[in-house]
Amino acid sequence: MPERTHTINTGRLSADELAAVLAPQSNAPTGKSLSVRGLRKSYSGTTVVDGVDMDIAAGEFVTFLGSSGSGKTTTLMMLAGFTEPDSGTIAVDGRDITELNPGKRDFGFVFQQYLLFPHMTVEENVAFPLTLRGVPKAEIRRRVGETLEAAGLSKFAGRKPRELSGGQQQRVALCRVLVYRPPIVLMDEPLGALDKKLRDQMQTEIKSIQRELGLTVIYVTHDQEEALVLSDRIAIMKDGRIEQFDTPRGLFEHPRTPFVADFLGAANFLTGKVEESTADGSTPVRLDTGGVLKARAHPCAPGQRVRAAVRPGKLRLVSAEESCCSGTVETAVYVGSLTRITVRLDGAAPGTAPLRIETAAAPPRIGERVCVTADREDVSVFDESDGG
Amino acid sequence: MAGTALAPGKVRVKTTSAMRGHRSRIALVNAVPVTVFLLVLFVYPIIGVLSLSLKGDNGAFTLHWYADALSGANLSVLVSTLRISAETAVLSLLVGFVLAHAIARMRPVFAALAMLIVVVPHFISALVRTYGWIIMLGEHGLINSLATSVHLPGAPYSLLYNETGVVIGTTSVMLPYTVLVLQGVMRGVDGRLLAAAAGFGASRFTIFTRIYLPLVAPGIGTAGLLSFILCLGYYITPALMGGDKQTVVAALIDQQVMKQDQWNSAAAFGVILLLLTFAGLGVLGLAKLRRKKTAARRSSS
Repeated sequence: MPERTHTINTGRLSADELAAVLAPQSNAPTGKSLSVRGLRKSYSGTTVVDGVDMDIAAGEFVTFLGSSGSGKTTTLMMLAGFTEPDSGTIAVDGRDITELNPGKRDFGFVFQQYLLFPHMTVEENVAFPLTLRGVPKAEIRRRVGETLEAAGLSKFAGRKPRELSGGQQQRVALCRVLVYRPPIVLMDEPLGALDKKLRDQMQTEIKSIQRELGLTVIYVTHDQEEALVLSDRIAIMKDGRIEQFDTPRGLFEHPRTPFVADFLGAANFLTGKVEESTADGSTPVRLDTGGVLKARAHPCAPGQRVRAAVRPGKLRLVSAEESCCSGTVETAVYVGSLTRITVRLDGAAPGTAPLRIETAAAPPRIGERVCVTADREDVSVFDESDGG
Repeated sequence: MAGTALAPGKVRVKTTSAMRGHRSRIALVNAVPVTVFLLVLFVYPIIGVLSLSLKGDNGAFTLHWYADALSGANLSVLVSTLRISAETAVLSLLVGFVLAHAIARMRPVFAALAMLIVVVPHFISALVRTYGWIIMLGEHGLINSLATSVHLPGAPYSLLYNETGVVIGTTSVMLPYTVLVLQGVMRGVDGRLLAAAAGFGASRFTIFTRIYLPLVAPGIGTAGLLSFILCLGYYITPALMGGDKQTVVAALIDQQVMKQDQWNSAAAFGVILLLLTFAGLGVLGLAKLRRKKTAARRSSS
């Protein structure tokens, strides 16, 4: 399909153009802030969303990330007004909108299924929100024209949605929202149905438009990479609750629960007992497998049983020193830029998973004796009772 | 090696094409009974009727049966047939739309039950159904006695042996068709589209007129035309529930054949009805073609 290649080529450019077209002429409201308190929803006895609290700043890109059934879409639908919460409040710029109909909230919605009106042309679809707002005809034509032009969709203006490719349809859906400049845009896995290449390109477009226009975007996805690329902050959801709401870096480097540590990237979990803390402020953990791993400061009493989590990329192979853990290399697989190694620690109980390590350094041989350690800032400590 | 590897492929190609030819020949053989059936029982009689309508009393070619049919009292019968059919189509569309809309929104169990209630009367003899209506609509029928007992102005109404009666009767006959067609289309409308429109701030009225109605429009066209066409040749209900002025073409044909032994004129009426039906189907076909053409033009531009 030649049109498709064409739009791929112009795609990146058009995102900036689109933002440029929309931004300057605006009495456009930039994003608004959103605050959510105690949002709950259950369906026939099953709690789907169990007390969501969050404050989203104006112009912020926030993603709900979680596996299916974590309550992320239900939360979004409650923000949108399509689903009525059992309890809790939603406020925009301090104004309570919990009781308002979806149409009265003046949000923008982009859905995974695009939901373009099949009987309308691309142009009519994009014009639809404007006609509802009583914008004069000439003004509608101008704004729709400009928006389509910037999105590289001008030549499809007269077509029906079904005559477009998936990427083009999603771009139309985006235009249909951006054309009326809603202060808050909600997106429910909008790129879920697109192939990888198109996804990457659309992510860039969405992000640059959001940044240029200062829109508040609330985005739902189960794709970690997508969440990391797009978001200012990510809310990791599990069983209807927010496990942690933080910047991507914060989530990665300071996971607050074992679930978060394991969900974003992967983590090695090591059980052990806290030892008397040392002068450097770290929390030394005497591992059950033998050896001591220094973790970052964590409020816990000496003798307490804990779990330490370290990412595969943060574990280092060192020559024997005091606080390292010795073991034997089981596998070493070269995967391009780095080597994935598994190490069985000396004291590990049979049946437990070996340590996963990723290293860019020269890999050891299989069966080689190694010693493993990590910087204390890269080691998180959780109470053993924490799930995940 | 290459030769032997290729050979089986070639052979396979041959066998499949041979088999395909064989299969299509079998298909043709299978079609023979149906073709013969249609030729003997459908095409032949139609040609017979056509030639009958073009034959004078002396056996020579003439158009005067048609001239007869399209003039004077006969013309007014034709016009009133068309009018009754149109009224029936509109009324059954209106009632059918409301019913189908309600059914499409019901939970599957109730929807099935409601459909049953709509369709089951259709299985009952048209004669019985019509007499049922006569009992309901008569001067001392159920509806009129109800209306008089609550002192509705103008009650009792004359609901029988006039055009109102005929249209009520034919509408009840056509209703299952319109409901079935409309309900199918309405089921196909994606509810999320309506929710999306609401999300953009559209009122219920706007959603209905600008999203819902256009999406079910093809069904409305089909259902309306279907009941119009079916009504054109409908006979029993107008004959029993209409008065003298509500003679329809089908009744006229009956009269000419059964009472006046006037086959040629009856044949001319039959051909006219057939042409009207074709015209209706043609309108529907044209509308579809136009939709396709505009779509094609759009995608080529």
